[in-house]
Amino acid sequence: MSRCDERTSDILLYLDNALTGQKLEDFRAHLADCSGCWARLEEELALSSLLRETRPLYLAPQALRARVAAVATQRASRSSPASDHSRKTRVQNWTRRWRDVIQRAFSWKPLAAMTLVLVLSLVFIPGAVQRVRAMDYVEAATEIHRSYLDGALPLQCRSHSPEAVTAWFAGKTQFHFQLPAPQSVRNGKAAYWLTGARLVSYKGSPAALVAYETATEKISLLVASSKSAVVAGGEEVRAGGLTFHYRSGANSEVITWTNHGLAYALVSPLTGSPQHSCLVCHQNMADQNLFKH
Amino acid sequence: MGVTFPPEKHHLLSQVLDEVFDGLYGYAMVLSHDRTEAEDLVQETCVRAVQAIESLQPASNVKSWLFTILRNIWLNQLRQRRAAPKIVELDVDESTAELAVEASKDPHALYVSKVEREQVREAIQQLSKEFREIIVLREYGELSYQEIASVLGCPAGTVMSRLGRARSKLRSLLSGSLRTPDRRAKGAVE
Repeated sequence: MSRCDERTSDILLYLDNALTGQKLEDFRAHLADCSGCWARLEEELALSSLLRETRPLYLAPQALRARVAAVATQRASRSSPASDHSRKTRVQNWTRRWRDVIQRAFSWKPLAAMTLVLVLSLVFIPGAVQRVRAMDYVEAATEIHRSYLDGALPLQCRSHSPEAVTAWFAGKTQFHFQLPAPQSVRNGKAAYWLTGARLVSYKGSPAALVAYETATEKISLLVASSKSAVVAGGEEVRAGGLTFHYRSGANSEVITWTNHGLAYALVSPLTGSPQHSCLVCHQNMADQNLFKH
Repeated sequence: MGVTFPPEKHHLLSQVLDEVFDGLYGYAMVLSHDRTEAEDLVQETCVRAVQAIESLQPASNVKSWLFTILRNIWLNQLRQRRAAPKIVELDVDESTAELAVEASKDPHALYVSKVEREQVREAIQQLSKEFREIIVLREYGELSYQEIASVLGCPAGTVMSRLGRARSKLRSLLSGSLRTPDRRAKGAVE
């Protein structure tokens, strides 16, 4: 077996960003000297890219989803002895999550009529359409943030390095984006830091979830293509040539903006004015004056 | 006295099912080569999971557990038929399969080339059973090596070597469809 044959598992691990430390350094050094392994890596990248583009290989029929939802809900309600409260909660868990599926499959006629009325009313109010779609993105970002905090969406890539996280996303989303290098701080103490990232789904397409932390809080940034995610409404703050849309909820606030064809939603548990929220992270940065007006 | 039922387990199960539903269906299609059988496999998997979720240990991996249930149901069915699995033509004609994708109105699915998906499906069907399974679990079920090892009941090292060989075979079958990585992809290794 040649040295290169032994590199097969390293190539697979490298593709999954699972090669770290000295092993990663050794592998990179080997790649620099070995055109065969480099070519092999390129072939593997091409295969991975093709396979990703063909996901899902088979799309489960909507009727199957509905059938399973109905059966699962029914079984959940009688699967074991339980108190009325826990049984109710259990069934609610199923019906809430699968409600859309059941409605799409079984109740499309009344829904179609309602949708038609809604669409006709909104066609004449473009601003309303935009705000509704904007709320869609805000709600999705809030829900994703909540799931991340609950541990239901664990990070798939853990790194403090923007370059490493940017590289991890390469080829995984239909858009390209680059996380900025950390801004310089005046007193040498960072107000927040990057902790990692994962892929999430927004309207059926892969979106990027980037996680940050301050000394006390967790913050998440959802990034999706602005073709599917609309940003509008809320309290507007203009800074650095961008318009930020600020919304405050019961337990969190969401700041959305668009830039270069991407829609961003920053969710944090911080509360206060929009300017104050921005300054929590930007207080010691060179651009702090942008947020003080 | 009634057993206190943990509703959070059902919440977790419904959440994971939602995420892996297409992956489970794809795995069932690859195992059975039959749309009706695949649907039955997925439905039976979900029903058994709902029934058994109470006994699942808190730290268990629900995703690999679901794939394992599906695989075990399939293997049991094979044993009951007392016949080895045989390769048969898919009963999903192309129009049905593509309609399913189109009807989803999924931007991602629409974005993907139908031709490429069909080529990949055909290439995967040409792989051996072992290679097919491992490719589908890894690339479409998005299971980790450890999760695949758990589903297949073999060491993670075996999973890696088998996956390497399966990808190699798949590369040769798809050689005409593979494009040189673009700059973005190369950037990941620079």
